[in-house]
Amino acid sequence: MVVTAKSVDGKEIGKFERHYHPQATNCRDFKMKYGAQWKVANLRDTSLQPGQAKKEIIEFDLPEGVRAADVTVDLVYEDVNPDNRYPIHSITKKVSLDK
Amino acid sequence: MKFVKPVLLVLFLAVPLIAFAEKAKTIDELAKMYDSSRCKSCHAEIYAQWEKSHHARPLMGVKGGLMLSPIALKKGEKGSTAFSEDDPKKMTIRNFPCFKCHLPQAVASADDSVAVELTEALIAKDSAKVARLQITCIVCHNEKAIIHKRELGAPEKGVLYGKKDVPAHMDGTFKTVKKSAIFKDSVFCGQCHGLGPNLEFDQAFQCANLYGSYLHNYVSSGGTKTCQECHMQKGDHLIAPNFNDDKQTSELLAKAINLEVETLGYEWLRKAATYVPKIVVNTKITTTAGHRIPDG
Repeated sequence: MVVTAKSVDGKEIGKFERHYHPQATNCRDFKMKYGAQWKVANLRDTSLQPGQAKKEIIEFDLPEGVRAADVTVDLVYEDVNPDNRYPIHSITKKVSLDK
Repeated sequence: MKFVKPVLLVLFLAVPLIAFAEKAKTIDELAKMYDSSRCKSCHAEIYAQWEKSHHARPLMGVKGGLMLSPIALKKGEKGSTAFSEDDPKKMTIRNFPCFKCHLPQAVASADDSVAVELTEALIAKDSAKVARLQITCIVCHNEKAIIHKRELGAPEKGVLYGKKDVPAHMDGTFKTVKKSAIFKDSVFCGQCHGLGPNLEFDQAFQCANLYGSYLHNYVSSGGTKTCQECHMQKGDHLIAPNFNDDKQTSELLAKAINLEVETLGYEWLRKAATYVPKIVVNTKITTTAGHRIPDG
């Protein structure tokens, strides 16, 4: 999941990434392994689990003079490598500090 | 007594020959042994679905990859594995533990020469040859159809297993279909879409955790659906996702995964007269899947 905040003129103000997936090692060192041939057991698991919501609270401080932003949340499935992407959802919201 | 010796000698020679003859020596022989192309004539729709599935290309990975290539590399070469050998000719079926699920018929029916040929094909990037090795109809509907072998015996030759009995099945080889005890149950899929580490091998490795996640997270939280109810609706043998189809995969994921986004803008006051303009983004991801995402 990538959360990007941009000012009205399109300049990136902030970016937040979170990766949800099991992470395994070969149990002989602390390096994450990718590929069944090398993995032995999960060391950490941040993946989406049935019946359990993943919630994040992300904060961006706006630069001086900026009072509005477009926030886009992209949820993407990556398979095998980061270049092989399957978009799932992309939601953009306008946020303003002025009523 | 004069007869006994020659008869015993013939038997002694014949038994290993028969056993050897039952094992495929080449990729073509193994592919032919489990060839299901004739199923297409009566089950065209199901066959077409299967042809697009990952079961039809279990050694190909995603988008034309050759997933077993690291194993085929020479031992010590960058990217090689503990299962690699220094000479392709030394490769055996035991060097490909992935066959447990990616090509179960090789464990039962392939000679080590198939492993050598596959290694050479992987080194040569001969995708066409590797692609001949598939999880065909016969693999699921015979080879993997029975898990209670002590009670029910091994899958019978000439018998397919399915959701119902078909006493007269219109096929020259598989003349009968018997009702399987597990075809509608998740445990059938769980045979391969795994519990986690494969600790029974001399070099443990981990592939799919999917069935473990289903048992320990989905069922334990009250889930009652089976793998087949979600992934084989109306008997669909594509058994989605098909990661070679970007659009379909994105749609399937979007259907199973929900994303909610809430935002808030305000000026934060930490100390007097020092406002920090801030935006807050709350995200919530939920899933209707009966297993961890991602997994396999």
